[in-house]
This record gives sequence, structure tokens and C-alpha cells, in this order.
Amino acid sequence: MPVTPQRARAPGPLLAVLAVALMAGLAGSIVLAVAVGANPLNATLLCGISLSYTVSGLIAWRRRPANRLGPLMIVTGFSSLTSMLYPSGNAVAHTIGQALDLLPLVFIVHVFLAFPTGRLAGRLERALMGIAYVAATGVQLAVMVLGGLEPHVLRLVEAPVLAQGIYQVELVLIGGVALTGVALLAGRRRAGERPPRRPLALMIGASALALVMIALLLLVGVFAELFFPTIQQISLAVLGLAPVAFLAGLLQARLARVSVGDLVVELRAEPADLRGPLARALRDPSLSLVYWLPKFGSWADQDGKPVELPADRTGVTPIEQDGKQVAALVHDPALTHEPELLEAVSAAAALALHTGRLQAELRANVEELRGSRARVIEAGQKERQRLERDLHDGAQQRLVALSLNLGMLQTRLDGDADARALLAQARDEVTISLAELRDIARGLHPAVLTAHGLAVALESLAARAPVPIRLTVELDDRLAEAVEVAAYYVVCESLANIGKHARASSATVDVTRVGDQLVVEVVDDGVGGADTESGSGLRGLADRVEAQGGRLRVWTPHGDGTRVRAEMPCG
Amino acid sequence: MRVAIAEDSVLLREGLARLLADADFDVVARCHDADELRHAMRVQLPDVVIVDIRLPPTHTDEGIQAAMEIRAAHPGIGVLVLSQYVELGLAMKLLADSAEGVGYLLKDRISDVPDFLNAVRRVAAGGSAIDPTIVSTLLSRRRSDDPLAQLTPRERDVLELMAVGTSNQGIADRLVITLRAVEKYVSSIFGKLGLPATGSESRRVLAVLLFLRT
Repeated sequence: MPVTPQRARAPGPLLAVLAVALMAGLAGSIVLAVAVGANPLNATLLCGISLSYTVSGLIAWRRRPANRLGPLMIVTGFSSLTSMLYPSGNAVAHTIGQALDLLPLVFIVHVFLAFPTGRLAGRLERALMGIAYVAATGVQLAVMVLGGLEPHVLRLVEAPVLAQGIYQVELVLIGGVALTGVALLAGRRRAGERPPRRPLALMIGASALALVMIALLLLVGVFAELFFPTIQQISLAVLGLAPVAFLAGLLQARLARVSVGDLVVELRAEPADLRGPLARALRDPSLSLVYWLPKFGSWADQDGKPVELPADRTGVTPIEQDGKQVAALVHDPALTHEPELLEAVSAAAALALHTGRLQAELRANVEELRGSRARVIEAGQKERQRLERDLHDGAQQRLVALSLNLGMLQTRLDGDADARALLAQARDEVTISLAELRDIARGLHPAVLTAHGLAVALESLAARAPVPIRLTVELDDRLAEAVEVAAYYVVCESLANIGKHARASSATVDVTRVGDQLVVEVVDDGVGGADTESGSGLRGLADRVEAQGGRLRVWTPHGDGTRVRAEMPCG
Repeated sequence: MRVAIAEDSVLLREGLARLLADADFDVVARCHDADELRHAMRVQLPDVVIVDIRLPPTHTDEGIQAAMEIRAAHPGIGVLVLSQYVELGLAMKLLADSAEGVGYLLKDRISDVPDFLNAVRRVAAGGSAIDPTIVSTLLSRRRSDDPLAQLTPRERDVLELMAVGTSNQGIADRLVITLRAVEKYVSSIFGKLGLPATGSESRRVLAVLLFLRT
């Protein structure tokens, strides 16, 4: 069974109580407001705001329990009910309503700036909200204490002019916060490194409009009493409608589940590329699907190449089978706000994962084998090189010195013919030993290749070839040693085969660089029909070439010569 | 005649020095590596330098690099390169466009003392000494429409000796024939191979090697 991250559930009973409390509060508020003669349209709009935020908040909390946005919206919804106290005839109730008059607007600004995570993202956002909260509570109380916004029961000092001044500053502050919020939202939209997912874009648009209306409302309140009631009503309507955009976003997530249905159908066809359909279903082009390969103890992509999971695990959704981690989706961290979608998509992926995972494992195995073959060949080569060096600096050097001494002895020894003959014989023996050692050492490792490169080494090979060779080497620089050695042996072995089997009269050897590939081609005009499987050493050559990530091909039609072509990447 | 030696094996270096000293050469420098040789070249100019192809520190191409530097800087100084292997590719690199004052021999050749001393003197005097292995390898290749097939066995012998840098007098001594006979063989060979007659003995070395190489 696929398992996705545990989803916390918001406490059901609490939500029910909140919903009932809201209904009661709303009904009571409207009745109360109409009874004391408040504007019924305003009362209804206020109730609409309260209803819209609280209900949206309840739904959000229910569906995204880990997200603070739901509770924040519920608080916003309930706080806007306190405005209903404002028209109350009761002095205390009226005072409370007056004191909390601007708080709901600040809450609304908070909701928009905290969307979609429910947290204020940056220091600037937090500072703005701090200013707004202080203005709406502390400054508001100060205004009232100084005798502003009468009538109420909080006046301690009679300084109405000062109070009015401070109040206007307060309104400008909150309006300014709202406008700065609009700028932040616009910036966030532009800076989004990923294309903003659709509900987010919609929500940002709605939030921006609502913030503009809040600012307009407050600033018109300060600078122009004109049309204030109309603007107030339009603002209230817009503010009430904004959460609907959020609901639309939620609905969009539901719609996404429909695309999961399409995904399942698509995956049933066992596509070679799982990632594409998954990325489409999640609407996340950056998505990657990685497999856990227990044998290697590492994560790998579809091609079996090892990958590291991002350090930030919020963008990683593991996929498990039988309680074991088998794969993971690496996605946009914002997708964690749509856990159902992630759950559905990863569940669908789990069904189709088997093939992809086997494929990744197979490719990783092939990669590993290729690597170990290259290492075995490399180690062998190094060992042979070391032996050649030991022979050269040891036995060969001493034998040369010995033959030199024998030669000098020969020049000084005169008279005894037997002794001279014995000496000459000894010198010949040493010379033969040296020749044999030379062949062995050269067979171990072509020292000339290491020291002087392919062109010089191949020239000597061609000179020793059994038939005339037209040699063309077009290389500007030295190549990696392993590549040079492989190329050398391709030519060496091919020429040896020509001598043994081809009955050719001539051959060509071409070594060129085509792009980042070294191409080695040996063509003879012999009888063809070479045995590519056994004895010819072609298998060993193919090993060498393939270990370098290249390939060896042999064309050997009967009666029409043999062509050996090796291509190896050479950086 | 002044000789400088660059050889990292003490045994060989001292052996060579003694061999040369015994033959009345003046061994002016015994160097362990190419840098010592370069230094020696600044202090005193020898007539000929004998250099091991593999020298410290990497034992790859230090010797041949030093040899080529000396050839470029001091065309009058003979350079004799010794090696455990002889490679046609390296011979061609060393000769580049002239075989004058160049030798390239297997180390084994030291043991044939008279021959070796001859080679040293020849190189010092601006002649050449190419290892017979290189020439015999080139001559042993089968060819269709082989121009070498037109040569008489005697001409082949002369060609082989000529290609390793032997002078006409040397060829005459070796084959026990007259100098005039050698000259006749040489011009006959050049005619049959379609090579233009070249004057000097070292120029014909290069011409013959280039011919055989194709």
C-alpha cells in the first residue's frame, strides 16, 4: 500500500462549535443592528465578510489542518463581528466596538500577506503587520483616551484636536501597510522562480484588490469625507468576496484529482518515462522521480545515475511499498499545501513504479559493471606498466652493462682462441637474452606510447607490421592514457590478425578525432571472414574499448577484407 | 675527441665512460639526468653527446627532448641516442629533416666495441648511425609491386649498410669490395628505387629511410 505523509485532522467537534457560534453571532448581530437603526446594507455586508472569512477559514482548517491560514481566517471572521457592537446603544458594548473598529481590517491584511502558508514570509511582512497591529489597538486606544472618537467611556483627557491628528496618522499607517502589501504581492508574483500555480495566482490577484480597497477606504476616511459611505460599501463587498478566490483555489485542488484519474489511465500503459505524466498531474514541471536502490544504498534517477535528495525535505514525498521506501517524488515545496493531490499522485505512481525501478536498477548495475571493468583493465595496465619499468631499470640495464663488460674484455683478450670463442658465445647469449627481454617488456607495455603518444607508437607498430601500412594519424594533442592504450591495442591486435589470418597485401590505419570521439579504423584487403568470437583477440579489444565508453565494430565479409572500427569518447 | 654522457644507470654510465676513455676519448661530462647535461653544455662544448632516451625524473621523453634541443642549438655537435627499444617513429622525429650528426642505437650495440666506437666517431664527424633493427624491420615487409625486388642481393646488402649510416669506405671494408664498386652499387640502387642522387652520406640515410617507410 502506498503511504503518503500523515495528515493531521482538525478537531471536528471544535469546528462544529465554531460554525454554530458563527451562525448564532450573525443572526444576533443582524437583528441587533437593525433593531438599533443601523444601516441594514452595511450590517449585511459586515455579516457577509464575517461569514465569508469564517466559512472559508473553517473549510481551509478542515482540509489543511497544518496550515495556519484557516485559524487566522476564522479569527478574522469573528473579529469582524465586533464591528456589530459599534452601533449598539449600550455604552460598554459601543466602546468595545469602537476600540476594535479597525482590527478586522488589519486581520484581513494579515490573511492576504500570510497566504498561502499562513505564515508571514519575510522580515518586512512581519514588521508591517507589527505596525498595523500596534496602530489598530494601541494607537486606537490612545486616541480614545485623549477623547477622540466620542462617544465612549474611555476618555481620560480632553484633547480632541490632538486625538483627531493621531487618529488620522493611524489611518494613514494602516492604509500604508495595505498599499505596501500590494507591492509585496506584486513583487512575489514577479519573483516567483516557478510559474505560480493557478489558485495562487488567482488568490494573489484577489488579495491585491482587497488591499487596495482597504487602503482606499482608510485614506478616503482621512482626506475626503466625500462618497465615504459608498466607498465603504464597495470595500466591504470586495473584502467579503476575496476569500471566495481562496475557496476557488481549494476547488482547483479538487479538480486536480480529476487529472489523477487521467494519470492512472496513462500509467496503465506503462510509459517508459514516468516523470512526464506525474509532472503534468502535479502541474509541477520541476518534478523529478527518484528510485531508492537498496543494493547501492543510494537514490538514482531513471537512468540509474546516483542523485542526492535535496536537503530541504519539504519538497520530497516518499513512496513506499510494503512498508519499504522504494521511490520519492522531488517536487515544488508549495505542493505540500495540496496533500491530497500529492497523496493521490504518489499512490498512482506506486502502481506503475515497478518497471521504472527495475529499469533504474538495471542501468545502475550496467553502469557499475562498466566502471569495474574499466578499473580491472586500468589496474592490469598499471601493473604491466610497472613490470615493464622494473625490467627496463633492472634486468635489462644490468644485462646491457654485462654485455658492455664482455665486449671490453673481448677487445683486451688476445691470444687464447678458445677463450675468445667462449667470450664471443657469452656475449651472443647476452644479446639474445636482451632481445627476448625486450620483446617481453614491449608486450607488457608499449613504453613509447606513454612517452611519445599515439602517432609515434603507431608509426613503430606499422613499421613492424607484416604488410605495408598506410598510416594516418590526425591528432593535435595527447589523449587520456587509457584511451591511447586502448587505441594502441586496437591497432596492434588488428595488425597481428592481419599477419595471422587475413592474407592481405596491404592495409590502412586511420586515427582521427571526430568531435569528442576518437575514431580508429584498420582496414585490410585480405580474405575477410575473420572469427570475431574466439582466438582473434577481438573480444578482448571490445572489452578495452567498451570500458572506455566506446564501441568496437568489425566488418569481415568473406573475400572482401576486414574493417575494424573503434570509437571512443576522448573528452 | 670530447664526449658528454647522460645516463642514469651508474653501472652503464661508468662502463661507457671507461670504454670511451680506453679508446682515447676525452669524457668531459658524466650526467645523471637531462638538466645536468644542459648544464654541462653551457660549461664546455663536446664534439659528441651520448644520451639515454629515458632519463629522470619521469623516464619518458626527457632524453629525446634534450637530444633535440642540443641538435637545434648546436648543429655542429653530434648526438647519439641510446635506448632499450628502437622505434621508427622516434627515429623519424629525431632525424626530422636531417640525419647529419645523429645516431639512434639500441643499448646492446655498446657491446660490439669497435662498431660502437665507429658509430660514435661517425656521429661526432657529422655522419649518422641508425640501428640496423630499424632498417631490417622496414626491409622485411612484404610488398606487392615491391621496388626492392629489383635489387640484387649485393645491392640489398649495400642498401642496408647505407641506410644505417655507414660511409662508402665503411661499406667497402665490410663487404670487402673496392670503393669504386660501392659507388657503382649506390648509384644503381638510387636508379632502381627512383631516388634522386644525393651528395652526402647522411643525406642519403634520410632519403632511404623515408623511401622504406612508405
